[in-house]
Amino acid sequence: MEINALFILWIISGLFIVFESRLYRIIIYFGIFSLISSVVYLFLGAPDVAMAEAGISAFTTVFFIIFVGKYYGNQTNITREKIEINQFFRKLKGITLPFVFCAGLFALYIYTMPDTAASTYLKEWYLSNFISDVGGKNAVTAILLAYRVYDTLFEALILVVSVVAVVHMSHFSDSSVSDGHHSEIENSGMAVFTLRIICPIIVLFGGYLVVNGHISAGGGFQGGLAVATFFICRYMVYNIYDISVKRVMQLEELIFLSIILLSIIAVFLGAAALLPTAYLPMFQRAYLILMNVFIGLKVACGFFILFYRYIAFERR
Amino acid sequence: MIFRYLEVFSIIMFFICIFGLITCNNIVKSIIFALMMQTAVIMFWLTIGRGSIPPIIDNTALLDNTSYIADPLPQALMLTAIIIGISVTAVIITMLNTLFRKHLMTDWKAMEKAEDEAFKESLYGDHLKD
Amino acid sequence: MLTFFVIVPVLIAVLLYMLSTHKVAKFIAVFFQSALAVFAFFLVLSIHSEELTIFVGTYDDVMGIILYADALAAAFVLLTTFIFLLVSIYTLNQKESRTFWFLLFLLEAALIGLFFTRDLFNVFVLAEVSTVVIAVLLMYDRGKRSMFFGMVFLMLSVIAMQFYLLGLGYVYMMTGAMDMAYVAERITNMTRSELALPYALIMTTIGFKCALVPFFSWTPKVRVYPQAPTAVMAILSGLQIKSAIYLLLRFQGIFGVGASSELFLIIGIAAGLFGAFMAICQTDIRMILAYHTISQVGLIIIGINSGSYYSYIGGMYHIVSHAMFKTTLFLSAGIIVHSYGTGDAYKIRGVLKRMPLVAIGSIAAVLGITGAPLFIGSISKYFIAYDVPPLLNAATIIISLGTIISFIKYSYIFFGDSDLVGDIPVAERSRTIPTLILGVICLIGGVFGIWFIEFLFHTKVSISLIGYIQKSLIFAASVLAGLFIYKRFVKGNAFLVRFGAINFGFKAVCFSMSAFFAVILITVAFL
Repeated sequence: MEINALFILWIISGLFIVFESRLYRIIIYFGIFSLISSVVYLFLGAPDVAMAEAGISAFTTVFFIIFVGKYYGNQTNITREKIEINQFFRKLKGITLPFVFCAGLFALYIYTMPDTAASTYLKEWYLSNFISDVGGKNAVTAILLAYRVYDTLFEALILVVSVVAVVHMSHFSDSSVSDGHHSEIENSGMAVFTLRIICPIIVLFGGYLVVNGHISAGGGFQGGLAVATFFICRYMVYNIYDISVKRVMQLEELIFLSIILLSIIAVFLGAAALLPTAYLPMFQRAYLILMNVFIGLKVACGFFILFYRYIAFERR
Repeated sequence: MIFRYLEVFSIIMFFICIFGLITCNNIVKSIIFALMMQTAVIMFWLTIGRGSIPPIIDNTALLDNTSYIADPLPQALMLTAIIIGISVTAVIITMLNTLFRKHLMTDWKAMEKAEDEAFKESLYGDHLKD
Repeated sequence: MLTFFVIVPVLIAVLLYMLSTHKVAKFIAVFFQSALAVFAFFLVLSIHSEELTIFVGTYDDVMGIILYADALAAAFVLLTTFIFLLVSIYTLNQKESRTFWFLLFLLEAALIGLFFTRDLFNVFVLAEVSTVVIAVLLMYDRGKRSMFFGMVFLMLSVIAMQFYLLGLGYVYMMTGAMDMAYVAERITNMTRSELALPYALIMTTIGFKCALVPFFSWTPKVRVYPQAPTAVMAILSGLQIKSAIYLLLRFQGIFGVGASSELFLIIGIAAGLFGAFMAICQTDIRMILAYHTISQVGLIIIGINSGSYYSYIGGMYHIVSHAMFKTTLFLSAGIIVHSYGTGDAYKIRGVLKRMPLVAIGSIAAVLGITGAPLFIGSISKYFIAYDVPPLLNAATIIISLGTIISFIKYSYIFFGDSDLVGDIPVAERSRTIPTLILGVICLIGGVFGIWFIEFLFHTKVSISLIGYIQKSLIFAASVLAGLFIYKRFVKGNAFLVRFGAINFGFKAVCFSMSAFFAVILITVAFL
């Protein structure tokens, strides 16, 4: 029953975003929305996705807050929208047509919804076979890293592409920011103090998630996000850019190459079949852990670059 | 007839997002709606394969009755979809940044007007002027 | 083996990006691309004896991801590798950095992957990869670009992809699988109204990717954004839109009973007429070409949905021929715009005198696209209108007439004289040769059209001489009518130009996307 309440809260938080016009508030509401969705994911039995959503929403919220900070900083003559009651009704009149349209679409959708029971064919198969086929205890990791590793390669690739794209687009003369440049803006003492305590714990947590990805909830991606969060905290505390983005990019591509090679050897060519059966569980465990570590490192590098580049581009 | 009412919540959210996309006037808000739309779709997938026990099999006795275990495939697919979503969003936000530097606004109408004029100028030249 | 068709370009791309900024790298890239093209050729040959099904990994059932190559996929891959090879020769001498080559290879990998995959979620992943790569490639030129069009294109694609993902959720719920063949098998005993919702959701995305009618204005605009590299424009119009049509074909095959070919016929006719009309209204040569892509896509959709076998083959062959002549035209337009410094069709004159080789390739392509006898377009248009009902036949003739009118406008650039000078006075050889090769193929593909069709799609068809002569006469009559209409109504018509500059904003496209979804849903579920 609590899941219904959560779903209703989820819908309400979405509606808050629709009817809000101040950007700061929209972003705060979006954070709330993501938080509720990640809790709902947990209730639906998907801890891995919940963790990923939480990490992702932390990143996006920070991105948006920095952007909107600039928005309010640069625009001097911005008129804060104060919604009075008659103004609200005037606004309501303008959105009636789209509302009717969407409501009609929704009604049509519900009316034509097929009432088929979910087929559980694949689920049964995966659950009963993954332990012997792939090893580990987490079925999600098994699917990601073995059955559908081809998808995972492209997913890793798209992160590489987006990093390359962001670096390419936010082009500026690196000299002013990349070499130990100190930002003038001071962060509040309390935040710095708290982050100093939290930072090591975050790294520990990320490492735990990565290494234990195959036997418990979590995995390379979630752990990598946590490790990347460490870099953000580090930036917040010391306000310094002293890591060369270029080096990290090279590292990321190297890791990506090793992910491809590892998956080609272990999955595409089926190296496990050549091994004697006694060594198979060990090989499987080694493959899963190694793959998770690689993906974790890659994601950490990728998000680190995205964030640093973004901050540097913002504050130049 | 099986009325799958938990799915309806994510469908409602999907249409709220469409409504938001049609009505909202700010680019940042549009990006947020696109992200929310993705969340709604992910929620839909996870509701299809829901279960009270996550698909982490500590104990093989769990496998006797799999109907309580959540479906692992939608979760794996949605993890992939989330990563793809954030990668694309990062690119979009970077593009928005450069645009903001140029125009100092995040308003659809004003931005489209300004960009369209430049576009028409470069493609149609003096054919549009009488 | 099919796996490596996709993985090897990715590996090469990353290695090239990491290792070098040296000039040799480009030649290595071209070498690998020609190797891929050769392999694709042998793939097409080997498909003649048997179709290939490859399990990625050692899990041999629908649990893993299955790659699959039939005649259709192999033909598309051959086309892709060939055009990428020519386009990379075209860009060989330009000062494009390693990022460009990296993205080019990734685009190739993603497109090949799209043609081979039999997994529905894999389609989503690869489509997203190709979308991001394209958006970045379009905004590649850092100095002059404006991000706006790329951003809107990316956002709209992301939103469209959510429709696809939601529809996929229904497919998974109803069939419990992600594999196309398995899904198709499970779907056969379902009713049309049951399938309406997933079909409408998926078709909304594919309609957006094909640039069908409600979404007409963004795609040409994004494609022809003046600062986009020419090579990218050519690939987009020539190939990327084909991947969407390929998906349309595949999904109509999967949904069987649920597929609504009548609706798509109407949409195809509308797209054809509208694209042709908008092309008449344009004044920029690249813009004319971009709007033509829409009208030709309309023709292809008419061909593959009209229900007769010959039309289907014609539609398939028109995909190939469109890829050929559109790539030629875009590549030569790139050279012309570079040379004259403007893209205005009313100002450029005397291309034939300044760059004869480019002009010859370009003229061959123009003859191809208008469907002149002996050229590649005539064969495919002949088959599209082979045994369709008279109303459809009339529609295809009108679309062809529209094409002819706008290409009369286009052809004026070859003659006369002009003293406009842009960045380069004459074209380099590395840019001229690919254009010329493609132009020659436009002719060969017409003369030996029957053999080409047999080689690519493994079906024997024959052309009746009388019917072909009839078509040629219609073509000649259309040219005369086109000349008259152009002189009388189109030339210097300010209203048309203003109409051609019309476009939808972001919100309007979001609205039309959901309206398109509603229309398909209503048609399939209730009619």
